Amino acid sequence: MNPSGRTRTLVTFWGTRGSISTPGRITEKYGGNTPCVTISHNDTTIIIDAGTGIRNLGLELLREANGKGSPLTLHLFLSHTHWDHIQGLPFFQPAYRESTRLTIYGSSKKERFLASVLKGQMDYEYFPVAMTALTADIRIQEMTAEKVRLGPIEIDWEEQVYHPAGSLRYGFNIDGKRIVFATDIELDLLFGKRNKTYEDAVHAEQYLNFIEGADLLIADGQFTGEEYPERIGWGHSSIPVVLKAASRARVKQLAIFHHDPQHSDKFLDEIWMKHRIRNGVDHPGMDLFWAREGMTVAI
Amino acid sequence: MHPEGWKMMKWAEDHDGFTTTVEMVRTALAESIPVSERAYLQILNPRERKRLIELGGEDVVVGRSPECDIRFAVGNVSRRHARIFFYNEEFMIEDLDSTNGLFINGVKVLRCALRNNDQIAMGDVMLLFNEEKRLQPR
Repeated sequence: MNPSGRTRTLVTFWGTRGSISTPGRITEKYGGNTPCVTISHNDTTIIIDAGTGIRNLGLELLREANGKGSPLTLHLFLSHTHWDHIQGLPFFQPAYRESTRLTIYGSSKKERFLASVLKGQMDYEYFPVAMTALTADIRIQEMTAEKVRLGPIEIDWEEQVYHPAGSLRYGFNIDGKRIVFATDIELDLLFGKRNKTYEDAVHAEQYLNFIEGADLLIADGQFTGEEYPERIGWGHSSIPVVLKAASRARVKQLAIFHHDPQHSDKFLDEIWMKHRIRNGVDHPGMDLFWAREGMTVAI
Repeated sequence: MHPEGWKMMKWAEDHDGFTTTVEMVRTALAESIPVSERAYLQILNPRERKRLIELGGEDVVVGRSPECDIRFAVGNVSRRHARIFFYNEEFMIEDLDSTNGLFINGVKVLRCALRNNDQIAMGDVMLLFNEEKRLQPR
């Protein structure tokens, strides 16, 4: 995956769309697949979320594995189990190979055990193949320990507030660099309100501490500032609030992610241009981009 | 429109079967996928000779070295700066470990699927990627 052969950490976006997949000509640039991101470092591949983007990732992983003739060892971290973040899992081809080892990590704070939530979406009423038909060695691990270590990568995490049924944010620490994945959170309720409760102030502080100095923050920016007032309580953030919080926490690079299904490429280009120009003035130390399917950045 | 669509529209005029035809056209379109018909690069630098560089199925290496398929004698372009290749029905570009990086629409990337009107920057060289697509039956 790394053209130079040099050890680098690569972040690839396989799905960047929020809520529902949006195939079609007007979304082909930023992509129509729902969330899936990989972080690759040497032989370690970490997958974050199993939206519809994980289908293409699966095909690519198999192409590579068949070329090398080696089994796959994969780690999938789920932010939460809303459909747009798990719906691709039944179409993830490596999960149908006996030689694959797949560990799925997620919140322990589900009403039902994480395994039963994942099995539920493959109930016969919804999908013709049961989860037991996935022949890979699949282990489901609820996040309990404060940190998880996978070779050179150390992962920390926190539960997030202000998303219906909750979500997790993850920090991936590799060779002194930090990548944070923190989507599906309504930051406007933490940072935008005039009269904050004590709890909100604590949660806001925790969020800022978590993203502090991140080399890359992948953040929920589903709405524009103008759209947000009509979408309060939906569990997603407005772009201006994300920008301000990231800048305050001295984030080095910010990827706006979880694009609204109503936002066409043209519209995303327009708001990107608007914010890009303003960001250069307001937050000069922070690079800003809109996450785009098929894009790989090196950290 | 897909050629089958036109054929069906013609059939509709002749047979006064508009509603059925709309459904048939819809089906034909749904069974079609957009495929790349022509892709090319435009050089945007005022100092460089204006030309279009057609892209096909072959890999194309861009850089300063004389062995490159597309050569720019510009100091801040690496000897082998980037590679453009056709993979999985789409054009991709990747940085070949260049000194000054590869930028798509101002974003530094290691690899990226190219889309129509993407601006590619390598050092002082600026290229525009254009792609024309047509519908093809699946």
